[in-house]
Amino acid sequence: MREYFRLILVLTVISLISGGVLAQTYKFANPRIEENREKDTERAIIEVLPGISTFESVAIDGQIFYKGLDDRGRDVGVAFIVEAGGFQGVIRMMVGVDMESRQITGMKIIEHLETPGLGARINESWFQDQFKGKSLNDKFIPGEDVDAITGATVSSRAVSDGLKNSINRLLDLINSGKFTNVDMEGDR
Amino acid sequence: MLRDFTRGLWEENPTFMQLIGMCPVLAVSNAAINGVAMGAATTFVLVSSSIVISLLRNIIPREVRIPAYIVIIATFVTIADLVLAAINPAVHKVLGLFVPLIVVNCIILGRQEAFASKMPVGRSILDALGMGLGFTWAITFLSIIRELVGMGTIFGKSILGTEYVQWVIMILPPGAFLTLGILVGLINTLKRRRVVEG
Repeated sequence: MREYFRLILVLTVISLISGGVLAQTYKFANPRIEENREKDTERAIIEVLPGISTFESVAIDGQIFYKGLDDRGRDVGVAFIVEAGGFQGVIRMMVGVDMESRQITGMKIIEHLETPGLGARINESWFQDQFKGKSLNDKFIPGEDVDAITGATVSSRAVSDGLKNSINRLLDLINSGKFTNVDMEGDR
Repeated sequence: MLRDFTRGLWEENPTFMQLIGMCPVLAVSNAAINGVAMGAATTFVLVSSSIVISLLRNIIPREVRIPAYIVIIATFVTIADLVLAAINPAVHKVLGLFVPLIVVNCIILGRQEAFASKMPVGRSILDALGMGLGFTWAITFLSIIRELVGMGTIFGKSILGTEYVQWVIMILPPGAFLTLGILVGLINTLKRRRVVEG
Protein backbone atom coordinates (compact mmCIF):
# COMPACT_ATOMS: atom_id res chain seq x y z
CA MET A 1 0.00 0.00 0.00
CA ARG A 2 2.82 2.38 0.79
CA GLU A 3 4.16 1.75 -2.68
CA TYR A 4 0.93 2.88 -4.34
CA PHE A 5 0.77 5.89 -2.12
CA ARG A 6 4.22 6.97 -3.19
CA LEU A 7 3.41 6.52 -6.88
CA ILE A 8 0.26 8.59 -6.58
CA LEU A 9 1.94 11.26 -4.48
CA VAL A 10 4.88 11.79 -6.83
CA LEU A 11 2.72 12.00 -9.95
CA THR A 12 0.25 14.33 -8.28
CA VAL A 13 2.92 16.70 -7.04
CA ILE A 14 4.68 16.78 -10.41
CA SER A 15 1.38 17.49 -12.16
CA LEU A 16 0.42 20.22 -9.70
CA ILE A 17 3.75 21.97 -10.08
CA SER A 18 3.58 21.66 -13.88
CA GLY A 19 0.10 23.10 -13.86
CA GLY A 20 1.23 26.00 -11.73
CA VAL A 21 4.23 26.77 -13.89
CA LEU A 22 2.11 26.66 -17.04
CA ALA A 23 -0.51 28.95 -15.51
CA GLN A 24 2.19 31.52 -14.79
CA THR A 25 3.68 31.21 -18.26
CA TYR A 26 0.23 31.67 -19.76
CA LYS A 27 -0.33 34.78 -17.70
CA PHE A 28 2.87 36.21 -19.08
CA ALA A 29 2.40 35.10 -22.67
CA ASN A 30 -1.29 35.52 -23.33
CA PRO A 31 -1.51 39.33 -23.28
CA ARG A 32 1.33 39.46 -25.78
CA ILE A 33 -0.28 36.83 -27.97
CA GLU A 34 -3.53 38.79 -27.97
CA GLU A 35 -1.61 41.95 -28.78
CA ASN A 36 0.12 40.27 -31.71
CA ARG A 37 -3.20 39.07 -33.03
CA GLU A 38 -4.70 42.56 -32.80
CA LYS A 39 -1.67 44.09 -34.49
CA ASP A 40 -2.00 41.60 -37.32
CA THR A 41 -5.67 42.42 -37.75
CA GLU A 42 -4.96 46.15 -37.65
CA ARG A 43 -2.19 45.86 -40.19
CA ALA A 44 -4.46 43.86 -42.47
CA ILE A 45 -7.27 46.40 -42.21
CA ILE A 46 -4.97 49.27 -43.08
CA GLU A 47 -3.62 47.35 -46.02
CA VAL A 48 -6.99 46.50 -47.56
CA LEU A 49 -8.53 49.95 -46.96
CA PRO A 50 -5.94 52.32 -48.37
CA GLY A 51 -6.17 55.90 -47.24
CA ILE A 52 -7.82 55.41 -43.86
CA SER A 53 -6.50 56.91 -40.68
CA THR A 54 -8.67 55.02 -38.18
CA PHE A 55 -11.30 52.37 -38.08
CA GLU A 56 -14.18 51.32 -35.86
CA SER A 57 -15.51 47.86 -35.41
CA VAL A 58 -19.20 47.17 -35.68
CA ALA A 59 -21.00 43.90 -35.18
CA ILE A 60 -23.85 43.17 -37.52
CA ASP A 61 -25.70 39.88 -37.50
CA GLY A 62 -22.93 38.23 -35.56
CA GLN A 63 -20.14 39.30 -37.88
CA ILE A 64 -17.63 42.01 -37.16
CA PHE A 65 -17.13 44.73 -39.74
CA TYR A 66 -14.35 47.30 -39.58
CA LYS A 67 -15.54 50.68 -40.77
CA GLY A 68 -12.63 52.65 -42.18
CA LEU A 69 -12.53 56.42 -41.61
CA ASP A 70 -10.28 58.92 -43.29
CA ASP A 71 -8.72 61.86 -41.48
CA ARG A 72 -11.95 63.88 -41.80
CA GLY A 73 -14.03 61.16 -40.19
CA ARG A 74 -15.72 60.15 -43.39
CA ASP A 75 -16.39 56.55 -44.29
CA VAL A 76 -13.86 55.17 -46.70
CA GLY A 77 -14.88 51.55 -46.80
CA VAL A 78 -15.61 48.44 -44.86
CA ALA A 79 -13.24 45.59 -44.04
CA PHE A 80 -14.11 42.18 -42.75
CA ILE A 81 -12.55 38.79 -42.21
CA VAL A 82 -13.31 35.91 -44.54
CA GLU A 83 -12.61 32.31 -43.61
CA ALA A 84 -12.46 29.57 -46.20
CA GLY A 85 -11.55 25.90 -46.17
CA GLY A 86 -8.28 25.54 -48.04
CA PHE A 87 -6.30 22.50 -49.08
CA GLN A 88 -4.58 21.97 -45.74
CA GLY A 89 -6.66 24.04 -43.34
CA VAL A 90 -8.51 27.27 -42.79
CA ILE A 91 -7.53 30.28 -44.90
CA ARG A 92 -8.26 33.58 -43.17
CA MET A 93 -8.23 36.77 -45.17
CA MET A 94 -9.07 40.41 -44.66
CA VAL A 95 -11.13 42.00 -47.42
CA GLY A 96 -11.75 45.68 -47.96
CA VAL A 97 -14.81 46.89 -49.83
CA ASP A 98 -15.79 50.32 -51.10
CA MET A 99 -19.55 50.52 -50.72
CA GLU A 100 -20.10 53.41 -53.13
CA SER A 101 -18.27 51.95 -56.10
CA ARG A 102 -19.20 48.40 -55.06
CA GLN A 103 -15.60 47.32 -55.55
CA ILE A 104 -12.99 45.44 -53.57
CA THR A 105 -10.29 47.80 -52.35
CA GLY A 106 -7.91 45.09 -51.28
CA MET A 107 -7.43 41.56 -50.02
CA LYS A 108 -4.80 40.23 -47.67
CA ILE A 109 -4.21 36.68 -46.51
CA ILE A 110 -3.89 36.67 -42.72
CA GLU A 111 -3.51 33.00 -41.97
CA HIS A 112 -3.18 29.85 -43.97
CA LEU A 113 -1.72 26.37 -43.82
CA GLU A 114 -1.34 25.79 -47.55
CA THR A 115 1.50 23.91 -49.19
CA PRO A 116 4.69 25.95 -49.53
CA GLY A 117 5.53 26.66 -53.15
CA LEU A 118 2.01 25.84 -54.31
CA GLY A 119 -1.09 26.83 -52.36
CA ALA A 120 1.01 29.10 -50.18
CA ARG A 121 1.46 31.31 -53.21
CA ILE A 122 -1.92 32.84 -52.36
CA ASN A 123 0.26 34.96 -50.12
CA GLU A 124 2.09 36.48 -53.07
CA SER A 125 1.30 40.07 -54.02
CA TRP A 126 0.24 39.33 -57.58
CA PHE A 127 -2.43 36.95 -56.37
CA GLN A 128 -3.80 39.28 -53.72
CA ASP A 129 -3.50 42.43 -55.81
CA GLN A 130 -5.62 41.03 -58.62
CA PHE A 131 -8.68 41.49 -56.43
CA LYS A 132 -8.16 45.24 -56.13
CA GLY A 133 -10.82 47.10 -58.04
CA LYS A 134 -12.84 43.97 -58.64
CA SER A 135 -16.54 44.52 -58.78
CA LEU A 136 -18.66 42.86 -56.11
CA ASN A 137 -20.89 41.50 -58.85
CA ASP A 138 -18.11 39.54 -60.57
CA LYS A 139 -18.21 35.77 -60.79
CA PHE A 140 -15.01 35.05 -58.81
CA ILE A 141 -14.23 31.93 -60.76
CA PRO A 142 -10.58 30.80 -61.09
CA GLY A 143 -9.68 30.52 -64.76
CA GLU A 144 -12.33 33.04 -65.72
CA ASP A 145 -12.15 36.30 -63.84
CA VAL A 146 -9.59 35.15 -61.29
CA ASP A 147 -5.98 34.17 -62.05
CA ALA A 148 -5.43 30.84 -60.36
CA ILE A 149 -2.14 29.36 -59.17
CA THR A 150 -0.80 26.57 -61.35
CA GLY A 151 -0.86 23.34 -59.38
CA ALA A 152 -2.94 24.87 -56.60
CA THR A 153 -6.49 24.65 -57.83
CA VAL A 154 -8.02 23.96 -54.45
CA SER A 155 -6.33 26.90 -52.76
CA SER A 156 -7.21 29.29 -55.58
CA ARG A 157 -10.80 28.13 -55.59
CA ALA A 158 -11.05 28.29 -51.81
CA VAL A 159 -10.05 31.94 -51.83
CA SER A 160 -12.38 32.82 -54.71
CA ASP A 161 -15.34 30.93 -53.25
CA GLY A 162 -14.73 32.38 -49.81
CA LEU A 163 -14.70 35.88 -51.24
CA LYS A 164 -17.79 35.29 -53.37
CA ASN A 165 -19.79 33.85 -50.47
CA SER A 166 -18.95 36.57 -48.01
CA ILE A 167 -19.58 39.29 -50.58
CA ASN A 168 -23.00 37.78 -51.25
CA ARG A 169 -23.67 37.78 -47.53
CA LEU A 170 -22.59 41.42 -47.36
CA LEU A 171 -24.88 42.35 -50.25
CA ASP A 172 -27.72 40.50 -48.53
CA LEU A 173 -27.13 42.47 -45.36
CA ILE A 174 -27.16 45.72 -47.31
CA ASN A 175 -30.30 44.84 -49.25
CA SER A 176 -32.12 43.73 -46.14
CA GLY A 177 -31.31 47.07 -44.57
CA LYS A 178 -29.29 45.67 -41.70
CA PHE A 179 -26.40 47.88 -42.65
CA THR A 180 -28.25 50.95 -41.45
CA ASN A 181 -26.27 51.49 -38.30
CA VAL A 182 -23.15 51.73 -40.42
CA ASP A 183 -23.15 55.13 -42.05
CA MET A 184 -22.41 54.45 -45.68
CA GLU A 185 -23.29 57.79 -47.19
CA GLY A 186 -19.79 59.12 -47.38
CA ASP A 187 -20.09 62.50 -45.69
CA ARG A 188 -21.75 63.47 -42.46
CA MET B 1 32.93 14.25 -19.29
CA LEU B 2 33.37 16.20 -22.50
CA ARG B 3 32.47 13.11 -24.46
CA ASP B 4 28.99 13.34 -23.00
CA PHE B 5 28.67 16.51 -25.03
CA THR B 6 30.47 15.60 -28.24
CA ARG B 7 28.72 12.25 -28.60
CA GLY B 8 25.49 13.86 -29.69
CA LEU B 9 27.19 16.05 -32.26
CA TRP B 10 28.50 13.25 -34.44
CA GLU B 11 29.03 9.65 -33.27
CA GLU B 12 25.58 9.32 -31.82
CA ASN B 13 23.94 12.11 -33.78
CA PRO B 14 20.21 11.60 -33.24
CA THR B 15 19.28 12.30 -36.85
CA PHE B 16 22.08 10.76 -38.93
CA MET B 17 23.34 7.98 -36.66
CA GLN B 18 20.58 7.00 -34.28
CA LEU B 19 17.84 7.81 -36.80
CA ILE B 20 15.39 8.97 -34.16
CA GLY B 21 13.20 12.06 -33.98
CA MET B 22 12.74 12.03 -37.75
CA CYS B 23 9.24 13.47 -37.88
CA PRO B 24 10.21 17.13 -37.39
CA VAL B 25 13.38 16.62 -39.42
CA LEU B 26 11.29 15.68 -42.44
CA ALA B 27 8.37 17.98 -41.84
CA VAL B 28 9.97 21.22 -40.78
CA SER B 29 13.15 21.27 -42.84
CA ASN B 30 11.62 23.04 -45.83
CA ALA B 31 13.40 26.30 -45.04
CA ALA B 32 16.59 27.06 -43.15
CA ILE B 33 14.99 29.35 -40.59
CA ASN B 34 12.40 26.70 -39.75
CA GLY B 35 15.11 24.12 -39.15
CA VAL B 36 16.98 26.44 -36.82
CA ALA B 37 13.84 27.39 -34.90
CA MET B 38 12.75 23.78 -34.48
CA GLY B 39 16.25 22.80 -33.39
CA ALA B 40 16.33 25.60 -30.85
CA ALA B 41 12.92 24.73 -29.42
CA THR B 42 13.78 21.03 -29.20
CA THR B 43 17.13 21.75 -27.55
CA PHE B 44 15.45 23.99 -24.99
CA VAL B 45 12.94 21.27 -24.11
CA LEU B 46 15.62 18.59 -24.06
CA VAL B 47 17.96 20.50 -21.75
CA SER B 48 15.25 21.75 -19.36
CA SER B 49 13.56 18.41 -18.96
CA SER B 50 16.92 16.65 -18.57
CA ILE B 51 17.79 18.98 -15.71
CA VAL B 52 14.50 18.41 -13.92
CA ILE B 53 14.43 14.67 -14.49
CA SER B 54 18.02 14.26 -13.45
CA LEU B 55 17.36 16.21 -10.25
CA LEU B 56 14.31 14.07 -9.55
CA ARG B 57 15.82 10.78 -10.64
CA ASN B 58 15.84 9.27 -7.17
CA ILE B 59 12.38 10.52 -6.32
CA ILE B 60 10.35 9.34 -9.29
CA PRO B 61 9.46 5.67 -8.81
CA ARG B 62 10.27 3.40 -11.76
CA GLU B 63 6.67 2.33 -12.22
CA VAL B 64 5.41 5.81 -13.02
CA ARG B 65 8.50 7.17 -14.71
CA ILE B 66 7.02 7.38 -18.21
CA PRO B 67 3.93 9.41 -17.24
CA ALA B 68 6.08 11.58 -15.00
CA TYR B 69 8.61 12.26 -17.78
CA ILE B 70 5.85 13.00 -20.26
CA VAL B 71 4.21 15.51 -17.93
CA ILE B 72 7.52 17.26 -17.38
CA ILE B 73 8.41 17.25 -21.08
CA ALA B 74 4.94 18.43 -22.09
CA THR B 75 5.17 21.30 -19.61
CA PHE B 76 8.39 22.57 -21.14
CA VAL B 77 7.04 22.13 -24.65
CA THR B 78 3.99 24.20 -23.76
CA ILE B 79 6.22 26.86 -22.26
CA ALA B 80 8.27 26.93 -25.46
CA ASP B 81 5.11 27.14 -27.56
CA LEU B 82 3.57 29.98 -25.54
CA VAL B 83 6.78 31.97 -25.35
CA LEU B 84 7.40 31.56 -29.07
CA ALA B 85 3.85 32.68 -29.87
CA ALA B 86 4.29 35.72 -27.66
CA ILE B 87 7.74 36.77 -28.85
CA ASN B 88 7.92 35.71 -32.50
CA PRO B 89 4.46 35.09 -33.93
CA ALA B 90 5.82 34.81 -37.49
CA VAL B 91 8.06 31.83 -36.74
CA HIS B 92 5.44 30.36 -34.46
CA LYS B 93 2.92 30.43 -37.27
CA VAL B 94 5.31 28.68 -39.61
CA LEU B 95 6.27 25.93 -37.18
CA GLY B 96 2.61 25.54 -36.33
CA LEU B 97 1.65 22.23 -34.88
CA PHE B 98 5.17 20.83 -34.91
CA VAL B 99 6.10 22.63 -31.72
CA PRO B 100 3.54 20.71 -29.62
CA LEU B 101 4.71 17.56 -31.43
CA ILE B 102 8.12 17.95 -29.78
CA VAL B 103 6.52 16.12 -26.84
CA VAL B 104 6.55 12.87 -28.79
CA ASN B 105 9.97 13.45 -30.29
CA CYS B 106 11.82 10.23 -29.50
CA ILE B 107 15.05 12.07 -28.88
CA ILE B 108 13.69 13.66 -25.73
CA LEU B 109 12.07 10.67 -24.08
CA GLY B 110 14.95 8.56 -25.32
CA ARG B 111 17.62 10.67 -23.64
CA GLN B 112 15.68 10.84 -20.39
CA GLU B 113 15.35 7.07 -20.27
CA ALA B 114 18.88 6.36 -21.37
CA PHE B 115 20.73 9.07 -19.53
CA ALA B 116 19.11 11.79 -17.44
CA SER B 117 17.22 9.34 -15.25
CA LYS B 118 20.47 7.66 -14.26
CA MET B 119 23.13 10.35 -14.34
CA PRO B 120 23.88 13.43 -12.26
CA VAL B 121 22.73 16.85 -13.40
CA GLY B 122 26.04 18.07 -14.79
CA ARG B 123 26.49 15.14 -17.15
CA SER B 124 22.81 15.20 -18.08
CA ILE B 125 23.06 18.82 -19.15
CA LEU B 126 26.09 18.09 -21.33
CA ASP B 127 24.39 15.08 -22.88
CA ALA B 128 21.21 17.05 -23.57
CA LEU B 129 23.13 19.97 -25.07
CA GLY B 130 25.14 17.64 -27.29
CA MET B 131 22.10 15.77 -28.54
CA GLY B 132 20.12 18.97 -28.97
CA LEU B 133 22.86 20.71 -30.92
CA GLY B 134 23.45 17.54 -32.93
CA PHE B 135 19.80 17.51 -33.88
CA THR B 136 19.86 21.24 -34.62
CA TRP B 137 22.81 21.16 -36.98
CA ALA B 138 21.41 18.07 -38.72
CA ILE B 139 18.01 19.59 -39.35
CA THR B 140 19.49 22.96 -40.30
CA PHE B 141 21.89 21.32 -42.75
CA LEU B 142 19.01 19.44 -44.33
CA SER B 143 16.91 22.61 -44.42
CA ILE B 144 19.63 24.60 -46.14
CA ILE B 145 19.94 21.98 -48.86
CA ARG B 146 16.21 21.74 -49.37
CA GLU B 147 15.67 25.50 -49.37
CA LEU B 148 18.61 26.09 -51.71
CA VAL B 149 17.60 23.51 -54.31
CA GLY B 150 13.87 23.96 -53.80
CA MET B 151 13.67 27.74 -53.82
CA GLY B 152 17.12 29.04 -54.65
CA THR B 153 17.40 30.86 -51.33
CA ILE B 154 19.07 30.33 -47.98
CA PHE B 155 17.44 31.98 -44.96
CA GLY B 156 15.28 33.86 -47.41
CA LYS B 157 18.22 35.42 -49.25
CA SER B 158 18.29 34.65 -52.95
CA ILE B 159 21.48 32.76 -53.75
CA LEU B 160 20.88 31.21 -57.13
CA GLY B 161 19.26 34.21 -58.74
CA THR B 162 15.85 34.74 -60.25
CA GLU B 163 16.58 32.70 -63.37
CA TYR B 164 16.94 29.55 -61.29
CA VAL B 165 14.28 26.96 -62.04
CA GLN B 166 13.10 25.83 -58.64
CA TRP B 167 12.80 22.14 -57.87
CA VAL B 168 9.62 22.64 -55.87
CA ILE B 169 9.55 18.98 -54.96
CA MET B 170 12.49 19.61 -52.65
CA ILE B 171 10.36 21.64 -50.27
CA LEU B 172 7.59 19.08 -50.34
CA PRO B 173 7.57 15.78 -48.38
CA PRO B 174 9.16 13.66 -51.14
CA GLY B 175 12.07 16.08 -51.20
CA ALA B 176 12.54 15.60 -47.48
CA PHE B 177 12.76 11.84 -47.81
CA LEU B 178 15.06 12.03 -50.82
CA THR B 179 17.48 14.48 -49.22
CA LEU B 180 17.54 12.68 -45.88
CA GLY B 181 18.01 9.30 -47.55
CA ILE B 182 20.91 10.54 -49.65
CA LEU B 183 22.57 12.21 -46.65
CA VAL B 184 22.25 9.14 -44.44
CA GLY B 185 23.59 7.00 -47.27
CA LEU B 186 26.59 9.30 -47.73
CA ILE B 187 27.32 9.35 -44.02
CA ASN B 188 27.08 5.57 -43.77
CA THR B 189 29.53 5.25 -46.65
CA LEU B 190 31.90 7.62 -44.83
CA LYS B 191 31.54 5.58 -41.65
CA ARG B 192 32.22 2.31 -43.41
CA ARG B 193 35.29 3.65 -45.10
CA ARG B 194 36.66 4.86 -41.79
CA VAL B 195 36.08 1.46 -40.19
CA VAL B 196 37.84 -0.29 -43.07
CA GLU B 197 40.80 2.08 -42.96
CA GLY B 198 40.93 2.25 -39.15
